[in-house]
Amino acid sequence: MKRMLAGLLSLAMVLSLSAPAFAETTLEKINRTGVLTIGTRTGSPPFAFVNKQNEWVGFSIDLVEQAIAPAISKKLGKPVKVEKKESTPATRIPLLASNAVDLIAGTMTDTRPRRESVDFTLTFFVTGAQFLVKKGSPIKGIQNIAGKRIAAQQGSTNERIIRERVPTAQLRVFPDQPGAFQALAQGQVDAYTNDGVQLAGLIAKAPNPADWHIVGDFYSYEPYGMAMRKNESDFRNLANNGLMEAIESGKYFELYDKWFGPKGEVPYPLTTENKRFMELQVVPK
Amino acid sequence: MRGRWRGVKYDFDWSVLWSGESGGWLLQGILTTLEISALAWLLAVALGILSGAMRTVPFAPLRAIATFYVEFFRNVPILVWMFFWYFGVPPLLPHAIRDWLFNHGAEFWAGMFALGVYHGARMSEVIRSGIQSIPKTQFEASMAMGLTVWQAYWLVIVPVALRLIVPPATNESLNLLKNSSVALTISVAELTFQTRQIETYTAKAIEALTAGTLIYLVLCVSIAIIMARIERRFAIPGLIARVGAG
Repeated sequence: MKRMLAGLLSLAMVLSLSAPAFAETTLEKINRTGVLTIGTRTGSPPFAFVNKQNEWVGFSIDLVEQAIAPAISKKLGKPVKVEKKESTPATRIPLLASNAVDLIAGTMTDTRPRRESVDFTLTFFVTGAQFLVKKGSPIKGIQNIAGKRIAAQQGSTNERIIRERVPTAQLRVFPDQPGAFQALAQGQVDAYTNDGVQLAGLIAKAPNPADWHIVGDFYSYEPYGMAMRKNESDFRNLANNGLMEAIESGKYFELYDKWFGPKGEVPYPLTTENKRFMELQVVPK
Repeated sequence: MRGRWRGVKYDFDWSVLWSGESGGWLLQGILTTLEISALAWLLAVALGILSGAMRTVPFAPLRAIATFYVEFFRNVPILVWMFFWYFGVPPLLPHAIRDWLFNHGAEFWAGMFALGVYHGARMSEVIRSGIQSIPKTQFEASMAMGLTVWQAYWLVIVPVALRLIVPPATNESLNLLKNSSVALTISVAELTFQTRQIETYTAKAIEALTAGTLIYLVLCVSIAIIMARIERRFAIPGLIARVGAG
């Protein structure tokens, strides 16, 4: 009996020792492995998606690979490889918490409740919610959706705003874009609401882009940030410095043009207001 | 509560499960899950008994129809069936009916049919195995007593088979309940959907997932207990050796 107890105790000791005795910071982890693991999307063009050549690319991924990873690599004095894992609105925070990924670089809106669970980099993209409708639809914006069937994507902030502002709208919430878009195409719903740039991305991919219209003023403010585990200011500073240098050097705007320019995957011109906003986020050297 | 668990750094806040609207959402989710599962279960059992019995009758065309149903529906993933009933079926309906459905929970009925028809095919196999485990002599004895094939099935074979298949049928019923979570892909606001909803509003994913997990566990264990009682209640004494079912 005593021997069994001793055996159990030593087993418990071995198990607890095999787990890290103290938590490693993200930067220490990257230094040890030489890898920055990001959680990103596969179906959110042009932020992160799998293109026709079957490559996993996009604006958010470029920002990590060309602005943030180089900043970390410079600091650590060794090359840093970027590895990508799929993350969805439902899985991104658990993925961070379990150390499966170090940074969420997709289309995540920075919000105050989310800041209680994760930290964000500075805002790397600004958009707002609008509606996607079939050409000729009577819906012209949030002012006339009362009683209508509206599809939204779960995990988005705009679904919440509609619930609060137009409680009579019949919301149908889908876990992903393709399902919601299919429901709109078939008439199950009268409109699909999401961030304007996501809708533009959908139209760009649709078989007949001319059949669709994006309507309404922004009825929400969606600043996209990249999320990381809380209280890691050294890692956060590096990520922010990388983004600031990219804005300062013009690299950010080059990448913007590559993905959102007239010849880009999803044409979505940068307004002067937004350009200024990006520049103002850069703090002095 | 601030927790570090094996290097996982995360601030737990369990109050998100009952503060604000969360409690109501979870409750609504549980109700929807039970509602869609119960209706789908009835459909699955009805289809299962019918096609399971049909697969054993001495009449080839009936067997062929039942075999086709089973193999077609059980060998396609449930997710595909969800999309089929939600996106594929409505365009076949007349315009007025379709419009009415879209305004009256088309997603719920599509999800219910997807679950019921899919699990009916699986239930059918369970029932067939029950029927085929009954000695042929029972069927022959029923015939000798002057019963028709229909009467032999309805009065002898099926009632005995149903008693034999309680354990695998319980298994299948629990699968059905858990598979109802797939209906969230067609916007049915069931339990898993609501736990994700809490995650959306509070960014507390681990708490929400844990709550969902525990609720499914409680629901499934309750069903298992009820089925075990049914099994004991309807057991025919002396029919088969019963181990541990005192």
